Amino acid sequence: MNNHIVENLKKEIENFKDTLRVEKVGQVMEVFDGIAKVSGLSDIKSSEMVTFPKGQVGVALNLEEDAVGVIILGEFSDIREGDEVKATGRILEVPVSDAIIGRVVNAIGEPIDGKGAIKAEKTYPIEKVAPGVITRQSVDQPVATGIKAIDAIIPVGRGQRELIIGDRQTGKTAIAIDAILNQKGQNMICVYVSIGQKDSKLRKLQVRLEEGGAMDYTVIVSAGASEAAALSYIAPYTGVSIAEYFMDQGKDVLIIYDDLSKHAVAYREISLLLRRPPGREAYPGDVFYLHSRLLERACRRNAKYGGGSITAFPIIETQAGDISAYIPTNVISITDGQIFLETDLFYKGIRPAVNVGSSVSRVGGTAQIKAMKKVAGTLKLDLAQFRELEAFAQFGSDLDESTKASLERGKRSVEMLKQLQYAPVKTEHQVVGFYALTRGYMDDVPVERVKEFEVGLIDYTEQNAKTFYKEIAESKMWTDKGEAELKQAITDFKNNFLAKV
Amino acid sequence: MATASNNDIAKALFLTLEDKDGSALSVALKNAVSFLQRKRHLSRSEDILTRLSLLEREKKGELEVNIKSTRTLREEDKKYLREILKKRYGDKKFIFLEVLDEKMIGGVRIKIGDELIDLSLKNKIQKLQEHLTRNQ
Repeated sequence: MNNHIVENLKKEIENFKDTLRVEKVGQVMEVFDGIAKVSGLSDIKSSEMVTFPKGQVGVALNLEEDAVGVIILGEFSDIREGDEVKATGRILEVPVSDAIIGRVVNAIGEPIDGKGAIKAEKTYPIEKVAPGVITRQSVDQPVATGIKAIDAIIPVGRGQRELIIGDRQTGKTAIAIDAILNQKGQNMICVYVSIGQKDSKLRKLQVRLEEGGAMDYTVIVSAGASEAAALSYIAPYTGVSIAEYFMDQGKDVLIIYDDLSKHAVAYREISLLLRRPPGREAYPGDVFYLHSRLLERACRRNAKYGGGSITAFPIIETQAGDISAYIPTNVISITDGQIFLETDLFYKGIRPAVNVGSSVSRVGGTAQIKAMKKVAGTLKLDLAQFRELEAFAQFGSDLDESTKASLERGKRSVEMLKQLQYAPVKTEHQVVGFYALTRGYMDDVPVERVKEFEVGLIDYTEQNAKTFYKEIAESKMWTDKGEAELKQAITDFKNNFLAKV
Repeated sequence: MATASNNDIAKALFLTLEDKDGSALSVALKNAVSFLQRKRHLSRSEDILTRLSLLEREKKGELEVNIKSTRTLREEDKKYLREILKKRYGDKKFIFLEVLDEKMIGGVRIKIGDELIDLSLKNKIQKLQEHLTRNQ
């Protein structure tokens, strides 16, 4: 065994070829707060990697006439004034390989889950220009998130960028986790980028994903709250580079940035330390470009250019519901829609606390499957009407029949959209549920029993409306035959259900 | 207007001082110092001076070559080095500044401006270490 190691080493040493090259060097003039000012280093490129004597890596961000501003990735207490800095000639890159699936890595792609090294032959630059117009294709395949309120009302397509926005503790991460959990067997790779989050939260999440079997297709990129701001700044770009590696193999990827408000704050810190002029809310002038170039890299590529897609779920945390702050408005305008979560709804017990009125999906409609479009098409409008009537109905008791009917339907719709965490619902089950709701089968089911009805109905129809399910699975739409069978099954189940109390 | 960089100031000083001597030079120098003081640039004077000497060297066609080695270089080594450096930097007058450094184990380390040619044994071993740890 020992001999084997020695032999291997011998071979490696024999094969080692040292290429001589003229290196560009500079000297550290000052170091502070994760930033180093370096003199020399002529001809260095922007975002080129540099190395410090103790092996630390930095990235050149500010190129000035007589100095270079370098952000240090990682620990900087060992770096001293006068230290020699070497330019590497390479733009910052991250190692990628299929072996990265199921792993937790830091912002520069090094494993931090204690499961050993990740063997990687390839590296991808973390900054890349987004795919161009001719390589793209419009969004037309759905991402099934398993969350009823989203799949029915704010559908998301593969290649879309859908913002999840809301105050703290409104279930933003929960939606992202549910979406990842539901990708099992959907031919999707997930990348979860955690930016400035508590390590305890990340650990909880990792365990949750492992329990759900989701780590088989998920990569976690983490830049923790205790790490340098520079790492938080590059983490999302690292994440999307890993995602691009899988997209280049023609795969569909779902990437979650949790969250971009902290990313903007980290970038603000770096920018201020580099003495770039502050703008609104002290963010630097290019904070829009910071997020737009990141989110532009989410796309759906056409088959001629290898296919594959990256769907992005950026998360933004608002302060006291203020979506007109700088970063939220920026990201809202970049993305193809937003899922807006509200504290009020959350405490009313409507969970996920999606505000259906303010949430939109600008491109997801075309990606929704036909059957879902048919059953849930009017749901958004119905809910909007319901809310208006609800406010109005508080003033008088004399309501006409049709108003009462709308109110009753609305109450059941709200009830239907409630869902527990970690309990994604399959698309075909959602179709059955919404079919029963919008076709009026639930109107005489008591509101408090709607949940129970839905669960029972799904169980029952799975047994007694097999044709319907088969049709949905095959052609994404039902035929008259399947519909008749489903109608019969719903009626039978309801009679039974209402009979027992 | 953007603030003048150290390089700009050094260049300007070089141009004004270039063709002066005697009392004209001392007047010009005095003016230069009071200019720096007026503009609160005195703290930058050290860097400006280094840059000024670089400019002077450049004019004279000289090039400073910092050499680190474990032993003092023999004359024939230096001659050989000059030949090689000529190929990269053109026909310049190379001024060798030699420093001895036992820690390098062996070889030489040549630094010209911000360019470094590291032929030391220490560097080679470091590279081998990187290579071995990467392909574990």
